[in-house]
Amino acid sequence: MAGRRAALKAIDWTAFAERVPPNQRTMFNNLKTRSDAIAAKLTSLPEKPPAIDWSYYRSVVAKAGMVDEFEKKFSALKVPEPVDTQTAIINAQEEEANKTATAYIEASKARIAQYEKQLEKFKNMIPFDQMTIEDLNDTFPETKLDKEKHPYWPHKPIADL
Amino acid sequence: MLSRLVFVSASALKSSGPIGAGVVHASRCLHTSSQSLAPVPPLPEKGGKVRHGFIPEELFQLLYPKTGVTVFSLNQLDSSTSLFCKDYLKTGPYMLGAGLLLYMLSKEIYVINHETFAAASIGAVIIYGVKKFGPSVGAFADKLNEEKVAKAQEVKDVAMSSLVQATEDEKKEQWRVEGRAMLFDAKRNNVAMLLETNYRERLHMVTNEVKRRLDYQIALQDLNRRLEQEHMINWVEKSVISSITPQQEKESIAKCITDLKVLAKATQAKATA
Repeated sequence: MAGRRAALKAIDWTAFAERVPPNQRTMFNNLKTRSDAIAAKLTSLPEKPPAIDWSYYRSVVAKAGMVDEFEKKFSALKVPEPVDTQTAIINAQEEEANKTATAYIEASKARIAQYEKQLEKFKNMIPFDQMTIEDLNDTFPETKLDKEKHPYWPHKPIADL
Repeated sequence: MLSRLVFVSASALKSSGPIGAGVVHASRCLHTSSQSLAPVPPLPEKGGKVRHGFIPEELFQLLYPKTGVTVFSLNQLDSSTSLFCKDYLKTGPYMLGAGLLLYMLSKEIYVINHETFAAASIGAVIIYGVKKFGPSVGAFADKLNEEKVAKAQEVKDVAMSSLVQATEDEKKEQWRVEGRAMLFDAKRNNVAMLLETNYRERLHMVTNEVKRRLDYQIALQDLNRRLEQEHMINWVEKSVISSITPQQEKESIAKCITDLKVLAKATQAKATA
């Protein structure tokens, strides 16, 4: 009977729901309904079946020894536990998910670093009314006028004016 | 005012460094290298102070030690007014200017001819125009510059706020990712619950089947007993009926009739009594 009652971890569905991003909400709802259905089915079944009243049967059934035989066989019977095939798969999935999650977090951190760098650049920028055009071109390289491509004033296509 | 016009042209041109802006005091060395060593000091808001539109204030300050200061005060106060000279007209350089003018006119160093009147009229018109329209033109130029700066500032603000927002969102997503363990706990729970349910169902099934078999035996027994009983009753009846001989039948019928007669008499007597 060992391992029959694998510890059911209490799941905080509200906290779980908070962490679900909006685009995966339907999947989460499906999971929740399925889990609730399974839990309901579990609680509706009593843990042990009602015991068989052997003495009553022994007194009623005429055939000698039949009840005793049944009783002996019944108590000797061991119902096999269902084999757990899925937990290993789930653990493997969890491993994979952890890996992708760490990769995602790395990428996210890199993105944050990038944003921070740009933010720093903006913060340390000199105010606009103290800039020269050179400073402007340094801070925002896209404002630099391409003198090779358009050698004559205004150094950009007329449509861009 | 004139200096503001200079600023408009300076911001419109692509000025390479401080050369070109009107009255900026260039604090950068001009000939060391093409790279700037320090940030450009901010351009002053207004140009240098001038008197009468074209004579710099510094000239007056320069001349005060040389030409002396005669305070020309409008109300006759005592000499303590000399301490508050800046409120009143200090006439030193003006004397110099007037003296120079008279000298040039009287010695005919500057000859008055028809061009003098042309210059005077043109000057009058120019001064009138500048005085009348100067401030508005200046304000217009300022507004143009303001708009440019405001646009750039807006771009910068939007960029900064979007960056902050993006950082916030990324952090939120990281927090979300941390909840992934819950998903797998839920799945494992489901699996465990399903297994448990299955096991209980099996137990129940075994018990029920055993019970059913025992009950079947009991029902079989009862059925057998009932059949035996009924058969025995039928058989007994049949044998009793078949054992009644005709002689016995006649006797019993006669007895019944006599009994009935007695009963009738009794009831009749009871009825009449």
